[in-house]
Amino acid sequence: MTHLTSVDYLVILSYLAATLAIGLWVGSYVRSGSDFFLAGRALPWWAVGMSLVATDIGGADLVGVGGDSYRYGIVMGNFAWIGCVPAMLVAAFVFIPHLWRCNVTTIPEYLERRFSVQLRASVAAVWLVLMACNLGVMLLASAQFMSELAKWDMSLSIVGVAILVGIYTWSGGLGAVVYTDVLQGIVMIGGCLMIVVIGICDLGGVESFIDKVHAAVHARARQAPAPAPTMIDEPSSVTRAKEKLRLTKTKEREREHLSLVLPVDTKSPGPWPAILFGLALVMSPGYWIGNQRIVQRSLGAKSEYEAKAAYVYGALLKGLIPFLVVVPGLIALVKYPDLAADQAGGALPMLVGRLLPEGLRGLFVAAFLAALMSSVSSYLIAATTIYVNDFYRRFYRPHADEGQMLLIGRWTTAGFVLWSVCVAFQMMSFGQSIYSVFQTLMSFVVGPTLAVLLAGMLSSRTSSEGALVGFFAGLFTSVSLFTMNLLSVRTWLDMPPLFRIDAPYLYYSIWAFLATICMTIVFSYFSRPDPAEKTRYSLWEWREEGGAA
Amino acid sequence: MTMLHWIGDTFRGQLLLVPLPAVRWLFIGLLLALMAWVVQLPSSETTPSGRHSAWYEDLKIWAWLALMFQVFVYSVF
Repeated sequence: MTHLTSVDYLVILSYLAATLAIGLWVGSYVRSGSDFFLAGRALPWWAVGMSLVATDIGGADLVGVGGDSYRYGIVMGNFAWIGCVPAMLVAAFVFIPHLWRCNVTTIPEYLERRFSVQLRASVAAVWLVLMACNLGVMLLASAQFMSELAKWDMSLSIVGVAILVGIYTWSGGLGAVVYTDVLQGIVMIGGCLMIVVIGICDLGGVESFIDKVHAAVHARARQAPAPAPTMIDEPSSVTRAKEKLRLTKTKEREREHLSLVLPVDTKSPGPWPAILFGLALVMSPGYWIGNQRIVQRSLGAKSEYEAKAAYVYGALLKGLIPFLVVVPGLIALVKYPDLAADQAGGALPMLVGRLLPEGLRGLFVAAFLAALMSSVSSYLIAATTIYVNDFYRRFYRPHADEGQMLLIGRWTTAGFVLWSVCVAFQMMSFGQSIYSVFQTLMSFVVGPTLAVLLAGMLSSRTSSEGALVGFFAGLFTSVSLFTMNLLSVRTWLDMPPLFRIDAPYLYYSIWAFLATICMTIVFSYFSRPDPAEKTRYSLWEWREEGGAA
Repeated sequence: MTMLHWIGDTFRGQLLLVPLPAVRWLFIGLLLALMAWVVQLPSSETTPSGRHSAWYEDLKIWAWLALMFQVFVYSVF
């Protein structure tokens, strides 16, 4: 990307100033721990809905999905369509209202009410460690991407983003994070929309764009290597058969680039079993129902109806997101068709640098910064909330008042900011691959957490012991599969890969989820049923009781 | 080859037999089933409680719209 001009910097500074102003303004209303962690349960649906979407789209996703759609095609749209919308709607009408009615602050807190303190502490500890490390990774990823996009100094980016996000989160807690997310969501959607509109106009309009995409995909599919020539003369029938096979393969590759439903043996990260079973049925519900950084927003909604409305509004917005993040990748494919696979990640920055005029480049960088900051702030507030509520208050100061909770919440935020900066600097030597490693690690926890949540909510027969054993069995399964699939381990054990796609984290989540469910059922069957004061937090018993806590 | 490879290959072999058009219908069917579920939700679950609500406050409409768009997308692509 080319260097930014003073007009671009003016746009970026305006955005940063507006973010800080909103955060500090919200912070001026924060008076208690409840205000800090759940925004006083006063958030409107439109703010929560936009915040859900802004949090979901990380800066790395913005560039990464653009690059992946250049390389693999529109299959990446699955991650926002069937990979979000169905789970969001089921969450909206079944699970989120239940969590809201239970009046909890964190997911682990619900798990203690339904099961046991051991499960609460285990789930909270695993999530806290991953979130704390991910904070540093997100800061580092932000700095790396800003360095690629705008040639910013990496150390300065790490410290700058950390301080800015730290100030508004310290000041306003969840409320500040949600309201700044609204601005960040608008800037992000606006910035991506701008690229899409300018890019399509540059290619001669919608119809011309579609024709050119088909032509580019066709040309790319034909570039695939031809079968190796044989040393002996082949009969003409064999040559014709080979040519026919090559044409069929070309057509298949062409179809794959413009299809959402891909075969089992595709090389892209989205074969249909991974999308349907891994993404739509495990990762996505786990993300929208069991991930503290997402669910916390709806727990802060001002009513049960507003919590539901936020998710429905978010689902509507998510329907439009692939057009904003996938289409730029296709525009880049038409304009720069010769990028190698390892250069595809640079497709979007290249498009921004060459397509956008002065000023608008600044708006796109602001959009990109918005996506990064919204991810960092969501990890920051979620990690703080888990630490203060599930450890500090639960084990150290059970009778801490609202003022003390606010104070410790703010100092914990400051502590995590400092920690994340140290982690980011420490990880600078690891290179960019560390980002994808941590994303994979996060995916390990999603399946087991979802499984114990569902088992607890949907069945009153699930026992505390069963859920605890199931959770650890799920973690063990995903970690084992990941380890056994590592190249070094496979070489050492002299065995072929367990999975045939490049990034099989969706498959890890399926097996971890299944292992958790199976072990939970088996151990629940052989252990004592939980007492009534625990099972009343399951969905059906709660409804029968009329929700009396 | 381990037992895990055998399990994986067995599943993979079975899934390879499913034709892609059938898979597409599976995706669409899932969305249609959700649409049917949304439609039958009681109004008390989808409207604000304790007051008279306007038609646009019924979340069923918007959830249905979000799903209808998904059905369209998966039918075309």
